[in-house]
Amino acid sequence: MNRLGLTDWNGPVMRRRLARRYAAERRFRLLGLGAVLLSAAFLAFLLVSMIGQGATGFLRTEVRVTLDFKAAPLLIDRAALAGRGADLALANAGIPAHLNAAATTAYGGEGAGYLSENSWLDVRDAVRDDPALLDGKASFWVAAATAIDLAAKGHGTAEAKAAYAKLKQAGAVRKTFNAGFLTRSNSNDPTRAGIWGAFKGSLLTMIVTLLLAFPIGVLSAVYLEEYAPRNRMTDLIEVSINNLAAVPSIIFGLLGLAVFLNTWQLPRSAALVGGLTLALMTMPVIVIAARNAIKSVPPSIRDAALGVGASPVQVVFHHVLPLALPGILTGTIIGMARALGETAPLLMIGMRAFIATPPDGFTDPATVLPVQIFLWSDEVSRGFVEKTSAAIVVLLAFLLAMNGLAIYLRNRFERRW
Amino acid sequence: MLRSLVILMASAGLLSACHDPAGGAGGGVREQIRAVGSSTVFPFTTAVAEQFVNAKPNYRSPIIESTGTGAGMKLFCSGVGAQYPDIENASRRMKAGEYALCKKNGVDKIVEIQIGVDGLALGESKRGSRMALSVREIYLAIAANPDGKPNRARTWADINPALPTTPIVVYGPPSTSGTRDSLTELIMTPGCDQNPANKALKAVDEDKHKDRCTRIREDGAYVDAGENDNLIVQKLGANPDAVGIFGYSFLEENLDTLAGIPIDGVEPTYDSIASFAYPGARPLYIYVKSAHLRAIPGLKEFVAEYAGAWNPGGPLARRGLIAATPDVRAQNVAVATALTPLDPAVLK
Repeated sequence: MNRLGLTDWNGPVMRRRLARRYAAERRFRLLGLGAVLLSAAFLAFLLVSMIGQGATGFLRTEVRVTLDFKAAPLLIDRAALAGRGADLALANAGIPAHLNAAATTAYGGEGAGYLSENSWLDVRDAVRDDPALLDGKASFWVAAATAIDLAAKGHGTAEAKAAYAKLKQAGAVRKTFNAGFLTRSNSNDPTRAGIWGAFKGSLLTMIVTLLLAFPIGVLSAVYLEEYAPRNRMTDLIEVSINNLAAVPSIIFGLLGLAVFLNTWQLPRSAALVGGLTLALMTMPVIVIAARNAIKSVPPSIRDAALGVGASPVQVVFHHVLPLALPGILTGTIIGMARALGETAPLLMIGMRAFIATPPDGFTDPATVLPVQIFLWSDEVSRGFVEKTSAAIVVLLAFLLAMNGLAIYLRNRFERRW
Repeated sequence: MLRSLVILMASAGLLSACHDPAGGAGGGVREQIRAVGSSTVFPFTTAVAEQFVNAKPNYRSPIIESTGTGAGMKLFCSGVGAQYPDIENASRRMKAGEYALCKKNGVDKIVEIQIGVDGLALGESKRGSRMALSVREIYLAIAANPDGKPNRARTWADINPALPTTPIVVYGPPSTSGTRDSLTELIMTPGCDQNPANKALKAVDEDKHKDRCTRIREDGAYVDAGENDNLIVQKLGANPDAVGIFGYSFLEENLDTLAGIPIDGVEPTYDSIASFAYPGARPLYIYVKSAHLRAIPGLKEFVAEYAGAWNPGGPLARRGLIAATPDVRAQNVAVATALTPLDPAVLK
C-alpha cells in the first residue's frame, strides 16, 4: 500500500482505524456507565429492602382494653401518684392482673395472650399522667402481643391472623405510629424497644470525638503546613499520620481498652471512652483533609497579608484558616460520619451492653446506633426483624443529614481561584 | 464563621465539663448493677433486668454485657470495686483456676446460683430416616481425625452398618459460637474418650488429645450454618437426610417439621434435658460477688427477682430456658435468699 492510502481519510485502512478508536471510546463510556449503574443498583436495593422491611417498624399495633376502676379499684395511695414515687406505687398496684382479667372478659380465654407482656406499662403511663382516670371506667389502647403485631403487618401464624381478624371486626385493634420507638431505649420486648437510648449515646460519643479530634487535627495540620520545617522528622510524622488513617478500627478499640480502661481506669461502656477511642481514629482523617485544604489556599493570600504587616499567627488565623475552613469541615464531617458507623472498637470497650435507660451524661453507660442494630439482629424474637431495619433507616437518615451538611458547607463557603 | 464556630466549640466544651463531675471516677460509686459473661445467659439476664426495672423503678436499670463466659470471668475476677462487674453470667461452671484468680484479686465469697438448664439437641426432618445415634457415632461422623486417622466416612453406614446409607451432612454451630464449645465438650470429647487410647493420650499430650477429640472435619460433611439456628431449621426442612445441631428451644419450637435424634437411647425432651439424662444438657449459672451486695443498690433484690423468674411457665421459660428439677430449684432459691458463698472445694 502506498503512503497516500495510509493517510487518506476515505481509504479503507484509515476507516478501520477510526472505527476502532470510536469503538474503544464507546466501550470505555459504557464500562463507566455500567459501574455507576451497578453501584446505584446496590444502593437502591439496600434502601428499598431496608425501608420496605423497616417501615412497619415505625408502626405498632394496639388493642383496646376497658378497665373499670370503680368496680375493681387499684390498691393505691392517691397521694403517692403526685411525687416521684408514682412509678413505684403503680408497679405494686397490680395493674397486670387487672389488665389480664379485663382482656379475658372482653376477648375470651386467649384475651390476655393478645396483649404484650409489658402492656401494663402503657396503662401505668396513662394513669400516672392523668390520675383522674382512676375514678371511673376508662379505655386504654395498649401494645398488642408480638404475634398479633406481626399478623397485623401480614406475617405470622394462621392462628394469630385469625385472632387479629376477630379483633379487627370488633374494632378493638388499631395500628398507629410507634412514637415509643423514637423515644425509648433498648428492651427485650420488641413492642417496647426504642432507638432513643442508642441515638443519644451516639450523639454524646460524637460530641466527645468532635471536641477532641477537631482542634487537635486542625492545629496539627496548621503546624505541619505553615510552621514545620521540611526535614526527615516531619516526613516521618507525615508517613505516620497517613498510616494511622489506614489502621483497622479494631486496633483502636484494643488501644482504648488498654489505655483508657485499664491504665486510666475510666468507666467501662461510657460515651466518654467511646468518644476518645473514635477521636483517635478520626483525627488522622481530619489532619489529612485540613492539610489539603490549607495547601489549596493560594500563596498570594499569605504574601499579601505578610506584605501589609500581618504577623504569621495573624496570617494563619485571619486569612488562611477561614479560607480553608469549608474543606476542613467537609473532611471533618466525613470523618465523623465514618466514626458514627463504627462498631468494632466500641465492642472492645464494652459499649455492647443491654441498657434499658438512655445515658444522662458522658460517663454513663451507653450504646450507639450501629451496635444497637448489631444487638437486635441477634435477637430471637421475630418482632425484632423489622425493628432492626427501622433502626438502620434511622442510622441512614442520620448519616444522610451529616453528609448533606458537609455538601451544604462546601457549596456555601467554597471559594474558587 | 470562625468566631461562631469557636463559640460553639467552647460552649459544647463547657457543657461537657458540667456533665463530667464523675469523669475518671472508675473507683468511685456506681448506682446500677453490672453483669458480664455468656451470650447464652445474656437474654435471660436482660429479661430479668427489664422485669426488675419495671417492678422496682426506684433502682437504676442494670447494665448487661455479653462478653462470653471466659472473658467475663476474667473481668469478674479482676477485683472488688465500682469498676468491676457484680454478676457473671456463665454457661459452664467456674473453673478452679478462675476461682484462684478471683481469690488472688481479693474476690472471695462468690455466690453461685444455677438458673436453669440449656440443651444442645440433635434433630432431623420428620421425613428423614429417624436415626438413633450414640456419642461415639457422632464423634466418628464429625471429627476431623477420629482416633488419630483422617476421617474417611462418607455415609452413616461407614460408621456403623446398622445405620442408613445416607451421606453424612451435619449442620451445626460455627467455631465462634458457645454452642460449638458445648458440642465439643458434651458430645465429642465423651465420644472420643470411649476409646481408652484417646483417654490415655490426655495425660501424655493434652494438645494432641484436644486436636483429636475436638477438631471438626472441614471436608464438607459438617456445615457451619452461622450463628442463626433458624437457618439450620430451614435447611433441615429442605434436606431430609441432613442432621442439625442447635439449641433445644429451636427443636421445641419446630416440632411440626423436626424430630429429635435420641443419643445413647435418650430422646431430647424437656424432661430428659432438665434431668441431664440427655448428653447435650448443660447447666447455666450466675455468679454474684458478695462484697458488692451492700455497696450496689438493688443487687440483692435483683438476685431475688431472678430466683422468682426461673420456674416452669415463668418469664424465663417463655424465652427458652429449661427449668431445673424442683429440688435443684429449691436449693438455688435457698442460696439466692441466704446468699451463701460457694465452697471452692467443689470446683474442678
